Amino acid sequence: MTLELMSYHVIGKKTIRKDGVAKVTGREKYASDIYLPNMLYARVLKSPYPHARVKSIDTSEAEKIGAVVITFKDVPDILFCPRLVSTPEATYKDWRVLTDKPSYVGEPIAAVAAETEEIAQKAIELIKVEYEVFEPSFDPLESMKDGKPKIHEKIILNDKEVIIENNIACKLELQEGDLEEAFKNSDVIIEREFKTNRGYHNQLEPKTAIVNPEPDGGLTIWCTTQSIHNTRLLISEIFKIPISKINVKKVALGGGFGSSIQTNIVVPIAVALALKARRPVRLAYTKEEDMHEHSSYQMIFKFKIGAKKDGRLTGGYMINIMDIGAHQIQAYPLLGTCAGWWVSLYKLQAMKYSGIAVYTNKVPSCAYRGYGNPQVTWAVETIMDELAEILGIDPIEIRLINYIGEGDLFWGQGPTVKSVIKSCGVEEILKKGALLIGWKDRPRPRDQKGRFRRGIGMARGYHTSSAGAPISSQVIDYSGAILKVNEDGTIDYITAMVDHGGGTLEAHAKIIAEEIGVPLKNVNIVSADTQTTVYDVCTHASRGIYAGGGAALNAARQVKKKILELASRILDAYPHSLKIRPDEERGQGIVYVEGSSRKEITIGELATLARIKNWGTIAAVESYRPPACPPHFTGYFVEVLVDTETGMVKPLKVVIGADVGTLINPDLAEGQLHGGFMMGWSRAILENLNYSKDLGDMECKGFIIDYKMPTVMDIPDEIKTFFVETYEPTGPFGAKGLGEGAQNPAIAAIANAIYNAIGIRFYELPITPEKILEKLKQSKEIEKLDLEKEVVKSEVA
Amino acid sequence: MKIKLIVNNVEKTLDVEPNELLLNVLREKLGLTGSKYGCGIGECGACTVLVDGEPVLSCLTLAVEVDGREITTVEGLDVNGELDPVQEAFLEEGAIQCGYCTPGFIMIAKALLRENKNPSRSEITEYIKGNLCRCTGYINIIKAIQKASEKIALRERNII
Amino acid sequence: MRADYVNIVNTHIVPVKLTYHAPKSIEESLRLLANYRKKARILAGGTDLVVDMKLRRKEPEHIISLKKIKELDYIVDDGSAVRVGAATKLRTIEKNKIIRERFQALYEAVRSIGSIQVRNMGTLVGNICNASPAADTAPPLLIFNATVIAKSLNGERTIPINKFFKGPGITSLEDNEMVTEVSIPYPPENSGSSFLKISRVGMDLAKVNVAVLVKLDKGVVEECRIALGAVAPTPLRISKAEEYLRYKSINEENLRVVQEIVAEEIKPITDVRSTEWYRREVSKILVRDAIKLSVERVKK
Repeated sequence: MTLELMSYHVIGKKTIRKDGVAKVTGREKYASDIYLPNMLYARVLKSPYPHARVKSIDTSEAEKIGAVVITFKDVPDILFCPRLVSTPEATYKDWRVLTDKPSYVGEPIAAVAAETEEIAQKAIELIKVEYEVFEPSFDPLESMKDGKPKIHEKIILNDKEVIIENNIACKLELQEGDLEEAFKNSDVIIEREFKTNRGYHNQLEPKTAIVNPEPDGGLTIWCTTQSIHNTRLLISEIFKIPISKINVKKVALGGGFGSSIQTNIVVPIAVALALKARRPVRLAYTKEEDMHEHSSYQMIFKFKIGAKKDGRLTGGYMINIMDIGAHQIQAYPLLGTCAGWWVSLYKLQAMKYSGIAVYTNKVPSCAYRGYGNPQVTWAVETIMDELAEILGIDPIEIRLINYIGEGDLFWGQGPTVKSVIKSCGVEEILKKGALLIGWKDRPRPRDQKGRFRRGIGMARGYHTSSAGAPISSQVIDYSGAILKVNEDGTIDYITAMVDHGGGTLEAHAKIIAEEIGVPLKNVNIVSADTQTTVYDVCTHASRGIYAGGGAALNAARQVKKKILELASRILDAYPHSLKIRPDEERGQGIVYVEGSSRKEITIGELATLARIKNWGTIAAVESYRPPACPPHFTGYFVEVLVDTETGMVKPLKVVIGADVGTLINPDLAEGQLHGGFMMGWSRAILENLNYSKDLGDMECKGFIIDYKMPTVMDIPDEIKTFFVETYEPTGPFGAKGLGEGAQNPAIAAIANAIYNAIGIRFYELPITPEKILEKLKQSKEIEKLDLEKEVVKSEVA
Repeated sequence: MKIKLIVNNVEKTLDVEPNELLLNVLREKLGLTGSKYGCGIGECGACTVLVDGEPVLSCLTLAVEVDGREITTVEGLDVNGELDPVQEAFLEEGAIQCGYCTPGFIMIAKALLRENKNPSRSEITEYIKGNLCRCTGYINIIKAIQKASEKIALRERNII
Repeated sequence: MRADYVNIVNTHIVPVKLTYHAPKSIEESLRLLANYRKKARILAGGTDLVVDMKLRRKEPEHIISLKKIKELDYIVDDGSAVRVGAATKLRTIEKNKIIRERFQALYEAVRSIGSIQVRNMGTLVGNICNASPAADTAPPLLIFNATVIAKSLNGERTIPINKFFKGPGITSLEDNEMVTEVSIPYPPENSGSSFLKISRVGMDLAKVNVAVLVKLDKGVVEECRIALGAVAPTPLRISKAEEYLRYKSINEENLRVVQEIVAEEIKPITDVRSTEWYRREVSKILVRDAIKLSVERVKK
């Protein structure tokens, strides 16, 4: 592999990203930077109650000041699901554009558009609403109890009504092998319960939509989205506008982390307003509104895991109770992936899984970097550490004994998405990481004295690269690419895929340049929209490089073939005897006959000749379904310092190893690991959307002044990253994904490090200084009691 | 109210209301959308601009308050297509991901390097702590500022 | 309870109609203040006021900007006290040599406030007039026995800082008065001061903040001043603990007693930032650490 890597001219090279200059000069346009002539400003009226029904609504005063007003009465009376990644039989629909039965504080009831934001805001305050208030539920276990008010009565699945009982949104049960037998054959069985936090993505750009009604009855839309095609499909579904008349423009996205896999509610609201006003409408949420738009799933896990004395796992049972908030975005598929994340970490002879998704009166939950994987990995990797300690095996060793690797069946994306692993660097990651952190010299829990205690913890994990599979599944996963060769020798790359900033499209450009044999600067990533691109499902599931890059590679292969065919006419040689080399000096790809130095032509000359000779444009269209969703593996080693008097934890040193197959963007991949750690750190020790029963809302009320994320002052003193060399045979140039695996084991490694420092395990996230100090005080009390007992005992003796 | 701003070295006479915020004037009246709205309450730093060279949160600044002052936004840093050393360093060090926070970081870095040509790591972190980034984990942003400092030193000695 | 705020906050604008005044003298601003009283607000840095207007916590009809009153932007060392004008930015204060060298607790407190941008806009006087129980400059001003100069058309008043704070967001200012200066007397010889703060992240409001000044005489405490913030409706001095430590030496046992007194005297609450229990626990730690740090600084 090393030899092959050496021969790449752009793959694996550090380059200046193509969107970089626009981003550093402030010229990059995000959805929120779009202002249109004659545009109206929109604002949304949101429910101040977590669970209510609108008895009456009076918009006349708002209309009097010149605002265009819509309420739940003015939007199509249909239920929809804002996320269109799953097949219809896995897509539960319980959303309306505007509702008369709000089920969380912040749910949109009505909206206005006016000449200025000031008038729009005034109009919102002039709308009079009377509510009938119902009892809310902020706890999934409460929600499920008999007699609790129903958050939804009937929803839609695959065009059929589903009656909701006990606020249970959906369920999934799975079983493989003989679990009773497996437990019987276990030397040790461990049972634990975990509760995760509810997180807010806190992407920097709040959700925004700008909608321009076109004269033909169609719409042009600029919005925050991870999928322009799914946005178009959804708007067509809701408003019954022909798909072809809706054009969603791709713009830069100010962070996603899963919060725009679904079409954000601002989009259909802005569409409804624009249709009524017949003018362009801009609806830009504020941070506070954004926090009332999306959050992560909160989960309660119950695990029972068996193991043999030698460390081999036998069987396991997992119960997963998910608090999904007030609406379904992807609860059902998530029930499947949570099982998948679990069983694809370590080998089990038998497994049973009961997953249940429950409605509560909270902001709807959606995917948040890792789609349940960081949470499941935290639980499983805590248990692996505990088993290692019980069995007296090194934590790294017990993982090496059990991990799922090359040749094993893998179903990370859920039970309908199975494939076989063909590349795996787990062992190398763990061994190298251990060396770099100083694993064998790590402190032993409970051995340390004094105020400040050091701890080293590790955890491993993975994420799928895409949700592809050899056969069709319940998850839609394919990508598209269009390439055309210009007369100056450059190649336009047109893709619907959104780059969240990780450098996805930079990687595609490298793949194209490498495959065809042109300098990287000759690949243009050009503007794109739904009219000019073929379908791409979404930038999620860490699929950008693997699936999107796969489409780009196949398109590049087609283009290369055409270039060689046409060049063969001019160079008077067989196409298969021609080669292309990138000539940086001439700034061109050059087609040549090997061994014949005079027979060559630049791609620009070729494209020009092809025009003059009426041979046509060299171009290709590709729609590509990835044959698998290979796991990219990561390992985290974290050293922390715990202040036992304040409970504060500080990250000292972090080592992260990753197996991404062939590394395409080395510096940007490293950036994914840096960002992954900080996000994981935050989820481990800091972030949580606590709900206040008094407010019916989040305690922080949507203010980031009270929903903190780490600042630059909170980063570790030292962070080391490394990539191990593997080659994924199904990936473009052997590459896999990274975005989510970059974070998945972080929480677990941090929690294990805290345990290593102070000898206390935490089963509820986040592990705040408050919780740490409380447990430390309790354990001191216990120690004191034990000591007193010892004294009594010795006195008696 | 009539005010005069010198925005990126160009004098602009504007008619603004007393309650208008500098950020909105820049973005909507002058079309300079490089400065971003992140939180609107001074917590994220995405709207940072320089007023007479000093870093200021444009989301909390009334436009009338800066009447007659010099405003520098991220759009005003490159000269005739040549990037500022801070911009170059951000590009070269992988300090940009989604890019939404980037203009704010670049402006605060400009202010820092104007005050302190050779800042230590802790001086950098202290200076930029009011700018939030969710993508990069800040590591490469610190590297970029260190590199920008080196670039400026070299430029001053006419080495590059 | 209705969460009506979801329809009011936040917007991209200041949705409050304003009349803007930029007086050129203190006199002129006092006249405006006397005229508009509660309908007016003084704008110095804007980092609190503009947020409050955006979030509709304050809806003044008149804004009196201090930006043209150059006479309010100063730091003067008069040999026995340092006087800071109402328009003086926090950033100017932290860059001041005397503040950094002689008023260490204040220097550290200022540096812990917000971001460079916020400190470049905000003022010391604004920080105290906002009267947040967690205001970082309050504990150091309390231990330095600062005084607040308030002016109105009726004349001038000197308010000791410990009489200035009345409750969350409430000061002892009349609605025709404006603070023109904070005067901070020199700390005594042979003393050291320090400021410590615990918060959630590197830029944040305090869960608890503490300032301590210790004056030693041959290893014995001649005077100790202890102030805490974010643990009661106003920042407060813990005089019982101060008295206890007077004429005693700093040892573990005495410090333990001080910690217990502090824990009894404060009245923390549970809010979104932390819990009552935790605030009490770490107050004890911060006070002890700040005393030790201050003692170290005396020796220097």
